[in-house]
Amino acid sequence: MKDNFKFLIELMKLRLSHIMTFRLGFFGPFFIDTSYFLVQLFAFEAIYGHVDKIRGWGHGEILVFVGTFSLINALNMIIYFFGVISIPEKIQTGELDLYLTKPVNPLLRITFEKINPGSIPLLAFSACIIAYGVKEIDMGFSWSNIIKYLFLVFMMTILYYDMELLIRCCAFFVFSVNNLTKIEETAIGLCLKVPGIAFYGIYKFIFYCVLPYGIIATLPTQALIGALSVKGLFFGMAIVCIFTFFALSFWSYGVHRYESASS
Amino acid sequence: MKMIRTENITKKYKRYKKQEGVIGSIKGLFHREYEEKIAVDAFNMDVDEGEFIGLIGPNGAGKTTLVKMLTGIIAPTGGEIQVMGFYPNKLEKAFKRQYAVVMGQKSQLFFELTAEDTLRLFKEIYRIPEDEYRKNKNFFVELFQVQEIMDVQVRTLSLGERMKMELIVALLHNPKILFLDEPTIGLDAVASKQIRTFLKNINESRGTTILLTSHYMEDIKALCKRSIVVNYGRKIYDGDTDMLFEQYQKSKKMTIYFEHSVEPDVPEYCRILEKTNDKLVLEIPKQNTEKVLESYIGHYPIRDIGIEEEEIGSVVERIYKGV
Repeated sequence: MKDNFKFLIELMKLRLSHIMTFRLGFFGPFFIDTSYFLVQLFAFEAIYGHVDKIRGWGHGEILVFVGTFSLINALNMIIYFFGVISIPEKIQTGELDLYLTKPVNPLLRITFEKINPGSIPLLAFSACIIAYGVKEIDMGFSWSNIIKYLFLVFMMTILYYDMELLIRCCAFFVFSVNNLTKIEETAIGLCLKVPGIAFYGIYKFIFYCVLPYGIIATLPTQALIGALSVKGLFFGMAIVCIFTFFALSFWSYGVHRYESASS
Repeated sequence: MKMIRTENITKKYKRYKKQEGVIGSIKGLFHREYEEKIAVDAFNMDVDEGEFIGLIGPNGAGKTTLVKMLTGIIAPTGGEIQVMGFYPNKLEKAFKRQYAVVMGQKSQLFFELTAEDTLRLFKEIYRIPEDEYRKNKNFFVELFQVQEIMDVQVRTLSLGERMKMELIVALLHNPKILFLDEPTIGLDAVASKQIRTFLKNINESRGTTILLTSHYMEDIKALCKRSIVVNYGRKIYDGDTDMLFEQYQKSKKMTIYFEHSVEPDVPEYCRILEKTNDKLVLEIPKQNTEKVLESYIGHYPIRDIGIEEEEIGSVVERIYKGV
């Protein structure tokens, strides 16, 4: 554990040195991510400026929801997104060979080798929106709800990672995962705009259990506003455990069936 | 001690046989025919500690597949395989700490950073103590005479310099086995010679077992006491390298550049491979090389002359045919 930590620190230092070699590459993402965030915010205001309530959630709750989704997405972008999305290319080109021959967990290395500080401002923007939403809701918040919220943000960041990993691991068995990533993008786009509580029946099953993007921001938001039941909390934890198990097993299965690319 | 042991190791791939044209593609959506490609076929090999072995064979012979199985990158379809007592595809960290692999066409270096940066990362990957790291780094840097380029961006290095860095990175943790897959590919004669000298030194001074795959006969001849020739995934020769060349290398290739246009005499036992006004490429029976060389030097205005070993494909073909 301690050795892995030292390795990760060295890996991140290298990544930062690498990014800082190109000034535009270093400062560019700050502007791009900020612009992307503002576009999302305007889109949200355009939709919810004319809607009073969605299943009991008012404007304040929706703001907390959008801020939370954005916060989890920002954590994803900063920590592992660019590493995980490189998996299909590494499999197809045979670059994975060199990762498999080193005595560190290849997945650990891939996950953290492309951290992206360019998305750090997104964290601050997301926190501002959440704070603004909380102010609009105008209710007292308990420490217990805040701790539950932070815990669920952590868990949902893992779930987001699991989903990304599961889809990218398909590259071990199929030539291209482009269509799967399109499904992923569509599902995320939808669940970013519509809170999970708005889904019924089969849609609820799909977005809670199959492609669980529906719970990613919904459960932490419910925790913060005190609307999350114990059953809901355990459901969220169970989903994270199940998907983490599947994602890691799928990766391990893929690695042992990896055929490498012809040199 | 046996470092590598394989028994009837086999690797098979399934390949989709696509029928021609659009109709064939449509048919392929509903019914697919696959063919089996045997990359490595019932391969047996024993390697002792400290050996320097050459793995020779033409393109597609199965050399790289074999190296990938020995390093655990891919799993064999059948047979038994043991490297230092480990089953490679279990990918155990204890196993991976004891070997290194250099693939001539895949780099371990970070192109935008310096070689020194990559070395620091590898120090953490292999958990090398600081004093051992410094000692090894200084040893290799001095051996390769690369002090000047340690803090230069890797992408600005020449291919030869980059390969030296790849080897330093690979050897930093004192591996017991070094797998080299075409390490001199694309290098000029000077860089290739430096790499060969370096590898010889490592094998002799550190006792590192080295398995080298190469297309270049010069590499094998200069470094490996023992050679294994592979073709169509099968082992067709395993023995002394000198014997191999003595027995199966029948000719050499001589390239002569003349100062100006000449019409040289060509002995009847030579085969003309290429002829222009000022260039002549000949295939010469090995025993007559010196005689032919003497007949040209002094008699014709020669600008440059080069003698190469026979191509690996011809040697393999001869072993295969048993002639």
